Amino acid sequence: MAAVKDRPRLGLSFLRLFAVQGSWNYERMLGLGVGVAAEALLRDLKTDGNEDAYRAAVARSARFFNAHPYLAGLAVGAAARAEHDGMPPTQIERFRSALISPLGALGDQLVWAAWLPLLAAAALAGIALGAGWIAVAAFVVVYNVGHVALRWWALSAGWAHGAHVVAALQAAHLQRASAIGVPAMGLVTGFALPLVAFSLAGSFGGWERLAVAVVAVVGFIALQLFQRVFSGLRLGLMAVALALIVGWLWP
Amino acid sequence: MSVEPQLFLLIWGTLVGLDLVSIPQMMIARPLVAGAVAGGILGDATTGIMIGALFELFQFDILPVGAVRYPEYGPATVAAVSAAHAIPGVLGFGLGALVGLVTGLIGGESLHRLRRITTRAVQRAAEPLERGDVRVLMRVHATAILRDGVRAALVTAVGLVLAQAARSVLAIAVSPRGAGLLGAAAVAAALAAGSSGTYRLVGRGPALRWFALGLCGGAVVTWLR
Repeated sequence: MAAVKDRPRLGLSFLRLFAVQGSWNYERMLGLGVGVAAEALLRDLKTDGNEDAYRAAVARSARFFNAHPYLAGLAVGAAARAEHDGMPPTQIERFRSALISPLGALGDQLVWAAWLPLLAAAALAGIALGAGWIAVAAFVVVYNVGHVALRWWALSAGWAHGAHVVAALQAAHLQRASAIGVPAMGLVTGFALPLVAFSLAGSFGGWERLAVAVVAVVGFIALQLFQRVFSGLRLGLMAVALALIVGWLWP
Repeated sequence: MSVEPQLFLLIWGTLVGLDLVSIPQMMIARPLVAGAVAGGILGDATTGIMIGALFELFQFDILPVGAVRYPEYGPATVAAVSAAHAIPGVLGFGLGALVGLVTGLIGGESLHRLRRITTRAVQRAAEPLERGDVRVLMRVHATAILRDGVRAALVTAVGLVLAQAARSVLAIAVSPRGAGLLGAAAVAAALAAGSSGTYRLVGRGPALRWFALGLCGGAVVTWLR
């Protein structure tokens, strides 16, 4: 078992985590990025010129892994701590695998389904109400305060808890944030949508506004009914292509 | 349009493209931010912010989980702002949307191809990676990021060429009614995508009530204004 420092290069590992998805691929997904971030925490496994334990740990850390990118640090820190604590390799592999689903689900719930759309919708509402640049700047600043804090918390909690990191995931503040995130996002996005609709369609004439309303409702229904084959992009491309053809035939 | 702002747009689009997945995911890739800064580069912040808002609604339709394939709206918004800039009114808006949607499609496809290329690079390096060769690990990772930078630059460049073509060809060919239709179609599709994406996220549970409450509140404020 290697001597465990209090905070062995957490800063370097933290910086590397910003590129954790840099080599995302269909085989190992986040694996390589996780390996790169973990490497900084594993250097203390080198003992008297013997790098076997260090190399084996780096190889393990770079294997298949997937999670929300902001929470990947939790697995990086926890697995690195487990390596230092001398946990058997097969157990470390199982431990990493066990973290994939909870880290993915929690990150998606907290960030992709709540924090990000909530702030984006608030910025849209701000723009519609005339805040312009201030709304955009506020979005970037506030979002990244949460983003950076979450990444740092994940890495330091992983390192602090090691194999017992599941306790950190069950923290009351995370559960509360997870519970109120999506309803709050729904409320703010719902508030923003009519304002943005009016703002974007403000320069249109009467019949154009009617067309916007009809196509938006039909498009919404189509996107709900045919989710598997239809997307917002396809709807947009079809709508603008149709508009170009109609405008050409009926100048 | 002179070369200098185009060059700055290319650099900005590349950074935006890198931010989406590779580094640092600070959400400059969000259309709202990408568009506002692109507008600032062109000295037309209002167009940038409005085009950004339009594509932000399209972005709501995307949940980037796992290996899901999705369009890339960041560089697309930069190209869309370039297309809409200097064309007044609804026509600029419509052309911007057209260019942006096509660029978004190309960007999404390029991401998928990049991931396949990176997968092959990882497979080729499997043996040293399993040995724990740190130099190979760092090289494969850094090369993948560099490759994504090149991809983002290429997607932005294609978008900017499309924007130039739209300004010089379509802007002349489209009738006033066609311009109105184009703008209306883009806004309608964006609203459908935005509301559909949100509805999917809130689901049919208690969050739906909050969504409905928000819609009512937004409608009242809009009416009062």
